[in-house]
Amino acid sequence: MIQLTDISKNFGRYQALKHINLDIPSGELVALLGPSGSGKTSLLRIIAGLEAADEGVIHFEEQATNDYGQQVGFVFQHYALFKHMTVFENVAYGLKVKKRKERLPKQKIREKVQELLQLVRLEEFADRYPSQLSGGQRQRVALARTLAVEPKILLLDEPFGALDAKVRKELRRWLRRLHDEVSVTTIFVTHDQEEALDVADRIVVLNEGVVVQEGTPDEVYHHPNSPFVYNFLGDVNLFKGRLERGKLHQGLCEWEISGDLERQSEAAVGFVRPHDLLITRDLTVKDSVPAWITYIQAFGKSVKIELKRQDSDEYLEAELSREQFNELQLQKKELVYIKPNQLHVFTPDDYSI
Amino acid sequence: MASVQQARQHRSLPGFGLTLGFTLFYLSILVLLPLSMVFVKSSGLSWGEFLGVVTEKRVMASYRLSFGTAFTASVINLVFGILIAWVFVRYHFPFRRLLDGLIDLPFALPTAVAGIALTTLYAEQGRLGQFIPMKIVYTPIGITIALVFIGLPFVVRMVQPVLQGLEKELEEASYMMGASRLQTFRKIIFPEILPAALTGFALTFARALGEYGSVVFIAGNMPMKTEITPLIIMTKLEQYDYAGATAIAVVMLILSFILLLCINGLQWWTSRKILEN
Repeated sequence: MIQLTDISKNFGRYQALKHINLDIPSGELVALLGPSGSGKTSLLRIIAGLEAADEGVIHFEEQATNDYGQQVGFVFQHYALFKHMTVFENVAYGLKVKKRKERLPKQKIREKVQELLQLVRLEEFADRYPSQLSGGQRQRVALARTLAVEPKILLLDEPFGALDAKVRKELRRWLRRLHDEVSVTTIFVTHDQEEALDVADRIVVLNEGVVVQEGTPDEVYHHPNSPFVYNFLGDVNLFKGRLERGKLHQGLCEWEISGDLERQSEAAVGFVRPHDLLITRDLTVKDSVPAWITYIQAFGKSVKIELKRQDSDEYLEAELSREQFNELQLQKKELVYIKPNQLHVFTPDDYSI
Repeated sequence: MASVQQARQHRSLPGFGLTLGFTLFYLSILVLLPLSMVFVKSSGLSWGEFLGVVTEKRVMASYRLSFGTAFTASVINLVFGILIAWVFVRYHFPFRRLLDGLIDLPFALPTAVAGIALTTLYAEQGRLGQFIPMKIVYTPIGITIALVFIGLPFVVRMVQPVLQGLEKELEEASYMMGASRLQTFRKIIFPEILPAALTGFALTFARALGEYGSVVFIAGNMPMKTEITPLIIMTKLEQYDYAGATAIAVVMLILSFILLLCINGLQWWTSRKILEN
């Protein structure tokens, strides 16, 4: 268990972190998710001990921290491999710098490094230098090197940020498996919501130095507590209107909403994910809005459709499964009727979060 | 590394033939031609005469002194140059830029001025000399001090940019894996700056070997004791013994060339791992 209590950090006048309180249970894979400048990397560096918090305390396993050097492993965004050392020497580094009493005999170090290289599938690359490796391979060396000292906590700063999409996806699956095998508490920083949703047990969403929401991927995705989280975790369509009697009113339409039905507001905003937007050709569907199809992106598993509302010229984005799309046979420039299926309504109060 | 060479075909400057031709021409005019004159001049001597001149006792003593003091001064500059570069890169303190500018002054100062200043300062009754129990002026120590002075900028200026470009994350990674500060410096930082430091060392050494102006004042020029090789050459020139002077110059040239080649080899060997790919 890592317990962060009231952590604040300033860089000059700029307040990077504002009173962060956070509990991270042992053995979990946690994502710190946020846009750039949200303070996520600062928070990670403070947990690592690379940066000191201006205020607040961190407890590890119910123990105040002063000296926890090797308990925490850190993987840097740009790997920070030692370029004058081979892959083998890089991985062995943490084992070789140990005090003589604690240091393993040479043969044992060799075995352990081999084992780790096997774990990251780089056995044949032991004698290469970092400059002879691809980005993904370097990242795996960095991981193996960090794991060599058997940290209780593994911290990764944008671990896949510098890699191309395919390698990224592969590596994050692999990180998930690795985490399940080695079972260290793992915290990684990312600005990619897909990555966080895909890999983490738990997501901590940060914005402007504040924890906005934390929870399982399911919780934050399906029950975002603020417009910011809703926006950050995926594409959205906005329906502005009046909130009354558990319904969102806009012109002649009224839509069912999820959540608290008692709320009233003159200036509510309904959020809808593209896949929760219904499209029909049927004029008679109640509470639907006419819109022109302006663009169809039809490759891939789902079909993305861009629409322009006839009444307000606002753009909307819908996502259909291929089957639905084939059934409807939609065409560009066609007039259709849309209706939000799952409306998540936020009132001005929510914007202050 | 065939692939690397192919990638290099994208050159910023066109005309490999032209630029190489120019480089060779330029080097010939400026370096090779004057140096070859040394060989031509000394060829006026017979082989026996040549050997006689260059192995004369007084000349042999001067080689020892010149190479010994130049080497000592370079080692001192290597150690303290790295230290100074470190301080300028890693710490921020008032007048840092001003002090940084001071580093290059030994280059700008006429060497004779430096020599006279150092001699006055370190003389037995001089401002500094009076506090030092041993004799500095007119000893090899004095010569070494002068050479340290004129060679100061090389190592500092070579190492500074490398240190500046060193990712902070490398050190942090080292600490995170449990290494001490000393281990981090020895195993991570030092190998990175070593090639540059060695280049600085080679430059200091080369400069110190040929230095004349600042040394002659502080050396005292006692034959067999504090007489450097450039001075012997100078003396011979003043006596119109051009052949003898150039003969000694030839020996100096060859020895320096071999030593610089060795240092370059060492430098290549240390940087090979970083640069080869």
